[in-house]
Amino acid sequence: MPHIPSILTHFSPELILVVGMLLVLTYDLWVRGREGLQANLAIITTVLALVATLVLWVTMPGSHPVFEACGPGAKAGTCRPGAFISDDFTHFFRVLGLLGTLLVLISGQTYMRGRTAFKGEFYALVLSAVLAMNLMAGANDLIVIALAIEFLSITSYILTAFLRHDGLSIEGGLKYFLYGSITSAAMLFGMSYLLGIGGSTSVPALAAIARNPELAQVQGYANIMLPALALVLAGIAFKIALVPFHQWSPDAYQAAPTPVTAFLSVGPKAAGFAVLIRLFVGSFSSLSASWLGTMGLLCLLSMVVGNVAALTQGNVKRMMAYSSIAQAGYMLLGVVSLGGKTLMGLDSVGAVLFFILTYVFTNLGAFAVIIAVEQATGSAELGAYRGLMRRSPLLAVSLVVFFLSLVGVPPLAGFVAKFAVFGAAVTGGQVPLAVVGVLTGVVSVVYYFGVVREMFFGASEEGQPGPIRVGMGTTFVVLVALLMTLVVGLWPEPFITLANNVAHSIAPALQAAGGH
Amino acid sequence: MVDNWGFIAVLTLVAFTVPLIGLALSWLLRPHRPGPIKQTTYECGLETIGDSWVQFKVQYYLYALIFVLFDVETVFLYPWAVAFLGLPLFALVEMVIFLGILAIGLIYAWRKGALEWV
Amino acid sequence: MSVPPGHFMALSAILFSIGVLGVLLRRNVIIVLMSVELMLNAVNLTWIAAGRALGDIDSHIFVFFSLTVAAAEVAVGLALVVAIYRSLGRTDVDDISMLNG
Repeated sequence: MPHIPSILTHFSPELILVVGMLLVLTYDLWVRGREGLQANLAIITTVLALVATLVLWVTMPGSHPVFEACGPGAKAGTCRPGAFISDDFTHFFRVLGLLGTLLVLISGQTYMRGRTAFKGEFYALVLSAVLAMNLMAGANDLIVIALAIEFLSITSYILTAFLRHDGLSIEGGLKYFLYGSITSAAMLFGMSYLLGIGGSTSVPALAAIARNPELAQVQGYANIMLPALALVLAGIAFKIALVPFHQWSPDAYQAAPTPVTAFLSVGPKAAGFAVLIRLFVGSFSSLSASWLGTMGLLCLLSMVVGNVAALTQGNVKRMMAYSSIAQAGYMLLGVVSLGGKTLMGLDSVGAVLFFILTYVFTNLGAFAVIIAVEQATGSAELGAYRGLMRRSPLLAVSLVVFFLSLVGVPPLAGFVAKFAVFGAAVTGGQVPLAVVGVLTGVVSVVYYFGVVREMFFGASEEGQPGPIRVGMGTTFVVLVALLMTLVVGLWPEPFITLANNVAHSIAPALQAAGGH
Repeated sequence: MVDNWGFIAVLTLVAFTVPLIGLALSWLLRPHRPGPIKQTTYECGLETIGDSWVQFKVQYYLYALIFVLFDVETVFLYPWAVAFLGLPLFALVEMVIFLGILAIGLIYAWRKGALEWV
Repeated sequence: MSVPPGHFMALSAILFSIGVLGVLLRRNVIIVLMSVELMLNAVNLTWIAAGRALGDIDSHIFVFFSLTVAAAEVAVGLALVVAIYRSLGRTDVDDISMLNG
């Protein structure tokens, strides 16, 4: 039976989010949807959850299961491990998700103000999405993984289609929904076969069975295990938007309200990688022979298709969609480099975590600029960026810094992250993929430079549009992101140590299993 | 004792015979006078004009959605109710929280006017 | 003699494949939605069959959750379809192509 104290302590960030979400909704009903404190309530809730997570992380290190079950549900007398687990790995992704959401909420507040009458619903949905991401970060049971992914998906569909009088927004939401519901059905199908093989929905129990050497002898086992893993991988790859499960992403990114796009480009990706790493690297590393190849293919396709397709985009949101597909490919490169070692003892999983950390701040910084430009010009087309350097030097220069970091230019955070991931790939036996990664990284310079050229050298036909007034929220987010991009780039040691510690908490067996 | 396959056989048999009986009876009892209008596909009332989509009132749709959601939630009440006597106090608290969240959902629908028939 | 679990698995695989075919071949969004529901129900059947064969309760609980999720998903899906019908007047997947590139 669930242990009440463990829920109230180790599950407290999630409980805070639930309460906050319900509060925002009831407050909105109370003020009848008028302008009010909805956004502030959401921000306060996120901050409280963040504080709770940090307190948990500092005061109670180690791994703490929540929702343990002993009784008729578990196999003969044994207790089932917690369906949710609160460890360093969970904390890491909780902090990233909550921080990312906080930045999105702050930079997107004024954007949403004039565009929708449903403020309470919007902020309640954003809080639900963070809740779902937190659940994904700590999910330790197939049921929780499936439910959390579905929860995040459904909230994302609604958020994408949120501007319901905008046909484009609805269309993006519908496409997202159609692709999403199909892949999630496929993922559930794969999970049912995992249950059929493992006899349990608990991830540690499944991992124990996967490690059993006798398993390979069972006749027909591979015929079931491989498709099952492939289907589960497809479901997660959809959330991360890896090629070929990416078709929804450019449409959804372009159509969604821009703060939602910013959120989608960061939240679901980070949470998806949390599940991917916990499930495949943390639990099924003994079966790596059966999934490394597939994942390597996804990685290759994502890096190539993402970077090449971004070249021809005239809409910056759409370009960022392809760019983030490519970035997800780089993250996956770290996942497939099992056993690779890179700078300062950072192992392959640590490199992925470090990459995600830098990506969250850099990408959200870039999106804060995109939101501000769209507010000023009403468009996210390339032409809207013409002469931005003259209209707002802060926005233009910071966007350049974020783009340079995404390309991986020293001394910015993105450089260290890419260096770490490529290093892991080279030492982890994925040299061809690393070469492709470097080459496609060079290609990415072209499309980022397209925007930069408009900002600095684009001559405006229709006179000289005046300077852009940048709001407090946007300035704050841009400065925080700039600071992080520079600090992580110039002084990466503490962050590398952090990523490594977190990585060791999830995959202690990885060092022993090195050299795959 | 009928085994599982027996059940399936019975089910299949019933599934096929019931509609067959209905069709056969109506074929035996009805007068047989065909005409051009009678040969058209049978539909209730008048032939629809234009797209049948426009006939739907949004209210139907909202009602149906809210009904489906609350209907499905009751699924969780059954196992809880069956095992109620064997459960600790915490299960009661958990169910109260669950129903509380559902109640907020209902209040939400109510306040948004989804329950009003216009 | 009872029905072996393999038969259930085969049936659900067939149902799932019919659902996939429906998704791939039909162009009306409503029918695509119905096909997705068929896929989800096929999955439920697998869970129940596997759970019964293994004597595992968890998988039966999973089906409860899965039903709820499917209901929520269909509610959102239908809402999107109605919204797109209002803005386009049609519900064919092929017509929904404002976003491209």
